Order: sequence, then C-alpha cells, then structure tokens
Amino acid sequence: MIAYLTNLATLATIFGILAASLNLLIGYAGIFSIAHAVFFGLGAYAGAQLAMLLVPDLLLACLAGGLVAGALSLCLALPALRVRGEYFVAASLGLQMMAVTVFSEAHAFTGGHGGLVGIPLASLLGFDISAPPTFLVVCLVVLALVLVVIRVLMRGSFGRSLMAIRDSESAAEAFGKNVARLKTLAVVLGCAMAGVAGVLFAFYMAFVNVESFTLEQSILVMAMVIIGGTATLIGPLVGVLLLLLLPAGLSFLPFIPPTEIGSVQQLIYGLAMALLMIFRPAGLAGRSAGQR
Amino acid sequence: MADIPLSVRGLDKHFGGLAAVQNVDLDLRPGVTTALVGPNGAGKTTVFNLITGNIPADAGDVLLDGASVRGLQPYQIARRGVARSFQDLRLFGRMSVRDNVLAALEPAPWLWQPGGGGARRARAKAVETALERTGLTAQADARAMDLAYAERKFLSLARILATGARIWLLDEPASGLDPNSRARFVALVRQAVSEGVTICLIEHNLDIVTELADRIAFLDRGAKLAEGEPQEILGDPQLISIYFGEPR
Ligand SMILES: Nc1ncnc2c1ncn2[C@@H]1O[C@H](COP(=O)(O)OP(=O)(O)OP(=O)(O)O)[C@@H](O)[C@H]1O
Ligand SMILES: [Mg+2]
Repeated sequence: MIAYLTNLATLATIFGILAASLNLLIGYAGIFSIAHAVFFGLGAYAGAQLAMLLVPDLLLACLAGGLVAGALSLCLALPALRVRGEYFVAASLGLQMMAVTVFSEAHAFTGGHGGLVGIPLASLLGFDISAPPTFLVVCLVVLALVLVVIRVLMRGSFGRSLMAIRDSESAAEAFGKNVARLKTLAVVLGCAMAGVAGVLFAFYMAFVNVESFTLEQSILVMAMVIIGGTATLIGPLVGVLLLLLLPAGLSFLPFIPPTEIGSVQQLIYGLAMALLMIFRPAGLAGRSAGQR
Repeated sequence: MADIPLSVRGLDKHFGGLAAVQNVDLDLRPGVTTALVGPNGAGKTTVFNLITGNIPADAGDVLLDGASVRGLQPYQIARRGVARSFQDLRLFGRMSVRDNVLAALEPAPWLWQPGGGGARRARAKAVETALERTGLTAQADARAMDLAYAERKFLSLARILATGARIWLLDEPASGLDPNSRARFVALVRQAVSEGVTICLIEHNLDIVTELADRIAFLDRGAKLAEGEPQEILGDPQLISIYFGEPR
C-alpha cells in the first residue's frame, strides 16, 4: 500500500510540474498549446540519452532536458507569434502529430516504437536517489522550485506583461510591449519546465516510449490545467490530483467492472469538463461564474 | 519641422477596393488639441492605426519630431512617447485596475524591469497618481472587466496618463459618458494639455469638440476635406451637412 501511494504521489508530482508549466502558456500567456506532451517527451528522451550515454546525474539530465525542450520550443513559438486562438490550436496540433511520428521513427534518439529501455538509476552529485521515497522527495523539491519560479515571475512585470498580451495583444503593443519577445520567452520557459518534468519521468519509469507523449497526454495535461483553474498557482495541482486520483479511486469501486473503468473515466472527465465550463469557467481554483 | 511632435504626410491606406485613408496630412503641435471629426467610416480610427504602426500604410509617412517611424513596430512607436486609447477600450480585462495601469509602465521584454527598487517605487507612485486623477483609487483591486462603463473609459485614460507619454491619441474617449463624467473627462484633458501633452482626439460629440479642440481636421471617405479653427469648420454648412449624413 505504501509503495502504491508513493508511486501515485511521484506521478502526481511529475504531472504537477507538467501542468504548472503548461499553465504558464495557457493561463498567463493565453497560448493554447495542445503540444505540451512533445516537450515532456523531448526532455524525457534527452535526459534518458544523457543518463545512458554519459552519466545518470539528475541535475545534468534536467539541464539537458530543459535545454533541448526549451530550444526546440521555438518550433511552437513561431506559430504562436503569428496566429492566435483556434488557428494556433490547429498549428500546435500539427506539431504534436509530427512529433509523434518523429518520436516513433528517430530510432537513434528515441528508440523508435520500442522506446528507450534500461535507463540507469538516478543519482545526484554521486548519491543514489533512486529509492522510491527518496525520488519522491526529489520530485517534490523540483515541483516546489518550479512553483516558486512561476509565482515570482507571474507576480512581477513579466507576468503582468504576459497577462496583458493575453487580454489584449494590440493594447499591450500600444503600451510598448515587445509581444514577440515576451511570448517567445514564455514558450521557452514553459516548455523547458515540461522538459524537466520529462527527465524526472524518464528516470522514474526507467523506460520511455512514444506512448507517453501523444496527443492524449497533451489533452490530459490541458484538462488538468483547465479543470483545476488557469492562471492560478494551485489550480493545475488541483487538476492533477483530480484527474490522477479519479482513475485510482474508481478502481476501488466494486460495482464497476475493471474492463469498464476506462469508459467510465472518459464519461466522467467529459461531463466534468462540460459542467465546469458552464458553472466555473475559471476552473475549480478560479472564481465562480457569477463572482465579482 | 523638428518642433512638430507628430506630423503625418500623404498617408494612404486601401482595404481591398476601399480607400480608407487618402493622402492625409496632419500636424500635431505642442499644446494644441486637435479633433479628428467626420462621419462613421470616414477613416479616423484608421489614421490612428497608421500612426501607431498597427497597420502598414500604402504610402505616406509619419514623423515624430521630424524623424520617420517607417518600419517601426507598434511597440517601438509607443516607446517614442505616443500613447493611444481604443474605440473599444481593449482593457486587460482579467487583470486588476492597478495592474492594468502598472502593466502600461513596464516595457522591458525580459523577466523583470531594469532600475531596481527605486524605479519600481516610481512606477507604483505614477500608478497611484493616475488612479487618483481618474477617480479609480477605490476600484484599484477590482478586475477591469467588472468595472462600470464610465470607470472603464477612465481606466483606459489612466493607462495613458501614467505612461507620461507626450502625445495622446484618443479614439472616442467620451462617447457614452454621462454629463458628470464628461465634465471630469474634459477637466482631465485640459490639465494634461496644460502640462504640455499634445492631444489628438476622435470625437462625435461636437460639444466636447468645441470645449476641447483648438483645431479640427474634417475627414470624409478617407480624405481630409478641411482643417481649421473650430468655429471655421463647425460654421461651414457644407461640412455640417456631410457630418450629419444629409444627401449629397
Ligand atoms: N482592418 C480593416 N480591414 C478592412 N477594412 C477596414 C479595416 N479597418 C477599417 N476598415 C474600413 O475602413 C473604413 C474606415 O474605417 P475607420 O474605422 O477608420 O472609420 P472611423 O472614421 O473610425 O469610423 P467610426 O466613426 O465608425 O469609428 C471603414 O469603411 C471600415 O469598414
Ligand atoms: Mg473609429
């Protein structure tokens, strides 16, 4: 039971980082990316490769994963600078689809469909941190760091600039905001953080393949952010807990046959999303529809 | 020429087959408030959009202190001291009133603003002053989208006021205001002018135009038909009949 809970908590923490980083894009910068799993994946592959080829040091791997995801996020920044709203959603969907193909085919970097197997145990400055409770603590520390960075930046002028662009791009420009620079910065930062989450994920699973970086994953993370509440610090975490615990909780309900859990889950997610957007469009942690 | 803060030369803009702005010249002089007047669709807002670089001109030039701003992005033109309001306000709706104004003072495209604590305090002070002058101090923590109509209009002015911009382009800033708010608006603009701000405003209400404007430029179908003193323009029966849409 302890092992089960530790596992759940570790996954929730990693997804917490992922959702918080997507919130930077969706909630603060108004960039509705449905390609976030791509950068999660890039970080995972980069971290895994570093660990397998050089040294399984978590710090170095996080650096590598963040750098690779951050650098390649310019592929996402480009359409984000040119189009908004549904056009950007479509563009990021295209990127997501391309990435899955590349992930499945680029054997040298990703191991293809089979993925990368046998990622060595994580160490940190020479200490073994692979024991599940230790690794959970490390993940929690990373999550805390990510949240502090997001909070400090979003409460400062950078956050105000992004939110101004989100609310009215032309007005933000009229008040001297270099929209292209600011949006690019937000994308790089958010995607680099997703890359770090990917590194943790790769070490934790000791195996990664393309299945974890598909459109479904991107949509799940987006659902976490939206259900929890965009542009709030704890919203994405609430969303993660809900969407990760829901399946875990459902599996304890005796009257749902195990084979049906998947469909029941989908129904509940769908219903929750629809009801939420009607009654609490700002998410669970956001303001309710009528609140002033 | 260099002593004219903003000067527009031969500006042209077509949208497909529609000539929205045709060969418009305009000089904004320090301490002189110019009103841009004309019927709906005359091209007034488009002139503002061309000045601020929101849309590229087909021909013509905009000079700030005699220097062309051709090829500059809107944010670069803004940083040269041109602030504008929008006909549809474009407030930062989900941000607080205070943050709306503060965001207008933070142009550095980096993770923080330069200048440290001293500059930060100066910005905070400018925000509070702008909120006081626009009567929004009590609403400072409310979300912009939750404000009443007149308050929103004043917030769009507070953003401009706080920037300390020397040229203001106001697009129908007083439309829909009640008489009391309108009087406050007029006082606010007068104070800014007395502090040396150069203002160009688009306004349909001819009473406000008479109260504020030193000059009127009359636009119709994209062309500047006339420019002069208010009594000259408003006393011209032909222009007035165009303005009120009588058959021509
Ligand atoms: N981005 C655009 N694309 C196409 N047509 C445009 C665009 N902007 C303005 N127009 C057209 O150009 C003409 C001038 O519009 P503009 O908004 O400048 O008028 P206006 O004088 O500000 O009118 P109003 O008093 O109604 O605000 C109108 O016919 C308008 O439909
Ligand atoms: Mg207009």
